[in-house]
Amino acid sequence: MGFFSQARLITSRDLVRERRSGEVLWVTLPFGAIALLLVPMAIGTDAPLLEQVGTGLFWAIVMLFGVLISIRQTTGETQAQRDQLALTGIDAAAIYIGRATASFVLLVIFEVVLGLVTIVLYDVPVSGWWLVPILITIVAAGLSLLGTLAASIVSTGRNAAALVPLLVAPLSIPLLIGATQALEVLDLGGSSLAWVLMMIVSTLVLAVAGVLSARPLQEI
Amino acid sequence: MTDPTPTSTSTTWPWIVMAVAGLVTFVASMTVSPDAVQGQLSRIMYVHVPSAWLAYLAFIVTMAASAMYLWKRDLKWDRRAAASAEIGVVFTGMALGLGMIWAKPTWGVWWTWDARLTLTSIMFFIYLGYLALRRTTDDLDVRARRAAILGVLAVVQVPLVHFSVEWWRTLHQPATLLRPEGPEMATSMLVTLLIAVMAFTVMYVAMMFKRIELGRLEDAVLIAEQASDGAVAGAAVTTPTIGRGTA
Repeated sequence: MGFFSQARLITSRDLVRERRSGEVLWVTLPFGAIALLLVPMAIGTDAPLLEQVGTGLFWAIVMLFGVLISIRQTTGETQAQRDQLALTGIDAAAIYIGRATASFVLLVIFEVVLGLVTIVLYDVPVSGWWLVPILITIVAAGLSLLGTLAASIVSTGRNAAALVPLLVAPLSIPLLIGATQALEVLDLGGSSLAWVLMMIVSTLVLAVAGVLSARPLQEI
Repeated sequence: MTDPTPTSTSTTWPWIVMAVAGLVTFVASMTVSPDAVQGQLSRIMYVHVPSAWLAYLAFIVTMAASAMYLWKRDLKWDRRAAASAEIGVVFTGMALGLGMIWAKPTWGVWWTWDARLTLTSIMFFIYLGYLALRRTTDDLDVRARRAAILGVLAVVQVPLVHFSVEWWRTLHQPATLLRPEGPEMATSMLVTLLIAVMAFTVMYVAMMFKRIELGRLEDAVLIAEQASDGAVAGAAVTTPTIGRGTA
């Protein structure tokens, strides 16, 4: 079985598990939507203010809650399950890419739904939003690769579920800054290319780092 | 893997070196003339800048030692990486804290959303995560391998922090020492700053020595505890001796 077939197998396994458990769609997604509802209660329900902060808040919530999506299964796995998966002979890098791809799919769904909630609740203007699908795709890819890598590093250790967000949140900053700045620059009539390129480079670095470290981490 | 061997921590020279280096920095920074514009406040710079330099140095050493661990799989490299990261976190915290103390009277705020400040605080949290990661398992090899991968990856923060003042428009001043046109500072201040940087570097070496020594002892204790935990039931039971035990 080739590398990509192995990765596809892992992706479908993870997606089947998600379909059965509904963790992302029935727990994390409503939780993110509740966060979007709570913020105006804390900062005030002034319509112009909400319109101004809406986009940035959307990305911040995607980053914070997206971590929960990208680490959901790796940190929940036992060492025995990891060992069993390693014994099947599936390439460690294929496992990494497969898991990240499953998280990518779920993150795209998460971002799209939360994006719609943001538009409805915050009345965010939709000018220049042709860029949004591109940003959603890159953020989902970067965050899924980063979360899967961090979860592989921490794996079954003590406090794993709490530690992974601590590692992921600061490292996801290039994605957060890139996504918010790209839209802001576009609104001001500039070019977003530099920000988009920065996000693509960060994502590629994460993909390479994840693939290269997959085997040393599987030895554990 | 090299088995950790318990050694004594009674080596005193690192303590003496640290005390002398601290004293040198204190005397040098207190005797130099104050800055014409900032006055006495400028003395913070003689600790703030060396602290930031040590943070860079420490995290680069962590990266190099982590890479060496991944290559050689020898735990001595892991102990070096961990010791350096711990020292780096302390000095990053010090650089941030002193910067805030300087910023309040100068900029009027403790904190501003400046690229250098923000990226330095992110670097601080990433390495706190590194230290937290080391506490997730008691298996020395597993801990070393996980930490080494993060130790190599996390170093990207160092050039980001250093060049942030060039890449973004920041309130934080650009490089004063390491600039192509040469240092932009009065000679007496420059000499004092260089003395402080050298003293801090010597202090780092002494701290590394003590922390590695302590790390070796910690590992030895961990191994001893694991060995006692793993003793089989009944291991303490020995063959009964008949009579006086002599044939």
